Amino acid sequence: MSLDWLDAFLVSGTFGVVEIVGLGLLLHLQVGLTRIANFGVVGFWGLGLYTFGVLYVQVDWPFGEPWQFLFSALAASLAAALAGLVVAWLIADLDSDGALVGTLGFSAIVLILATTQDQLTGGALGLGGLGFPYDLGTTKANELLWLALMTALVGLILGYVWWVHRTPYGRLLIAIGSNEPLARSMGKHTTGAKLTLFAITCGLMGLLGAMHGVMVRFLDIGSLDVGITLAALAGLILGGTARVWGAVIGVLLTVGLFDIVIQFYVPLPQEWFTQAIPVLREAVFGALLVVVLLFRPQGLLGQMRRSKLIRAMHDG
Amino acid sequence: MAEPSAPPILEVDGLHSGYGDVPVLKGLDFAVDSEVFAILGANGAGKTTLLATLARLLPVTDGSIRLGGKDVTAHPASETARLGIGYVPQEAAIFPDLTVFENLSIGGMIGERPLEQGLEEVFETFPDLRDKVGLRAGDLSGGESRMVACGRALMQDPSVLLLDEPTAGLSPLYVELFFQKIAEIHSGRGVTIVLTEQNATLALGVADRVMVLSLGLGSEVMTAADVTTDRLKEAYKL
Repeated sequence: MSLDWLDAFLVSGTFGVVEIVGLGLLLHLQVGLTRIANFGVVGFWGLGLYTFGVLYVQVDWPFGEPWQFLFSALAASLAAALAGLVVAWLIADLDSDGALVGTLGFSAIVLILATTQDQLTGGALGLGGLGFPYDLGTTKANELLWLALMTALVGLILGYVWWVHRTPYGRLLIAIGSNEPLARSMGKHTTGAKLTLFAITCGLMGLLGAMHGVMVRFLDIGSLDVGITLAALAGLILGGTARVWGAVIGVLLTVGLFDIVIQFYVPLPQEWFTQAIPVLREAVFGALLVVVLLFRPQGLLGQMRRSKLIRAMHDG
Repeated sequence: MAEPSAPPILEVDGLHSGYGDVPVLKGLDFAVDSEVFAILGANGAGKTTLLATLARLLPVTDGSIRLGGKDVTAHPASETARLGIGYVPQEAAIFPDLTVFENLSIGGMIGERPLEQGLEEVFETFPDLRDKVGLRAGDLSGGESRMVACGRALMQDPSVLLLDEPTAGLSPLYVELFFQKIAEIHSGRGVTIVLTEQNATLALGVADRVMVLSLGLGSEVMTAADVTTDRLKEAYKL
């Protein structure tokens, strides 16, 4: 089937939006439910990206695809989960400011390692050699299928978040976010619950990073700047940190607006897209954060629980 | 040969506690049996610190806490809760983003009693909560929130219930109701109650024995019937 009608940049742009939605959903569990401030999203995502890329390219695997991808991606997720566990343990008793600095520091460490360990990572020059675990004949077809797989993965993450909201475990996370000492005084192992949640969500962030590596097929330290974190946070805060759909709505209104609507449907001079728009994008995200936090801190979708959800829980 | 007497339900020996380098409790000794035990004291006397320490939310710098003869001084809060201590702080005693039902069910996560049985017992004590299970706890009035907090602690099926100024800030109607409920919880369920209160008259109406806390030190423990204004004044070091 010919895919000439499909703009390749639209596929990669949509992939980026879906990916940020996934990160925003995971951030919702960390920040919105459990109130663990994580400003180091790019660190966990980037650790997954680089662990995957290095294993995929530098290791002489005794087997081919799709096992090469699956093993590398699994190792990337485990590395990010383990890092999440360690970081969560370090910041477990810190207040939000301390957690912010701790997670931001972790993302800086990942960037420094990716830059300095150039024999493994390619350093500032980057590392090529990544590829799709299948071949449909054309790059566009491969990318389109990868977008579908990424969308399916983010759909599963959405399902996981939805499930967490409806379980006693989810209630415990909300209780911890609301008043951790009180939850502890009720016999709950709050530190264990926080560490588990942070490790799982960071592991999934690492998996999203590995998926990103396949799509771009190149490791570039430029992707480890604050952009990913800022995009996920801005979307989540605009939509509403405490609501399941907050990340989805917010990311579509921010990243989707810039990377798809403006990019493809607003007739602007071509040079704007390489210079003005990326800078404007970051500036708008930053300004948006300030405006939302000042005038509607709970985000567009409002407070935590919908009355419909509550009714459904009690009727069911 | 005489049977050895059972250890007190709660026993505190030489208890020191505080916040970081700031000592608040400076050596408390008392024992509580199956009773309503009131701890009186002015603002800053250390009442909240004492209950938070008994709930193991604050570190013990010296001394010991024993629950039914078992030393729980080094236990974390999550373990003492499982051993039977229920705690209702004066402020931030509920989870406002959760519904009334969810607040209660979180309390019922420990122990072996079925959730439905625990809920039914809480609704017997606080019938007003039955119709409010689906409401967000943060949307309730002050008195209703206090009922949820107390119900949440009762869901843990505690042997000792620590109530930190349970009626502070409530309207007179709720104050009367609450002290009536406290008496019911003790007499009906056999739960030992340790409560703090600034208002001595209110506390004496429900307590079996009282102790006055002043600047981190405790007075002698008095039975409520023996309390006189002069003894209270002396205990308050007025």
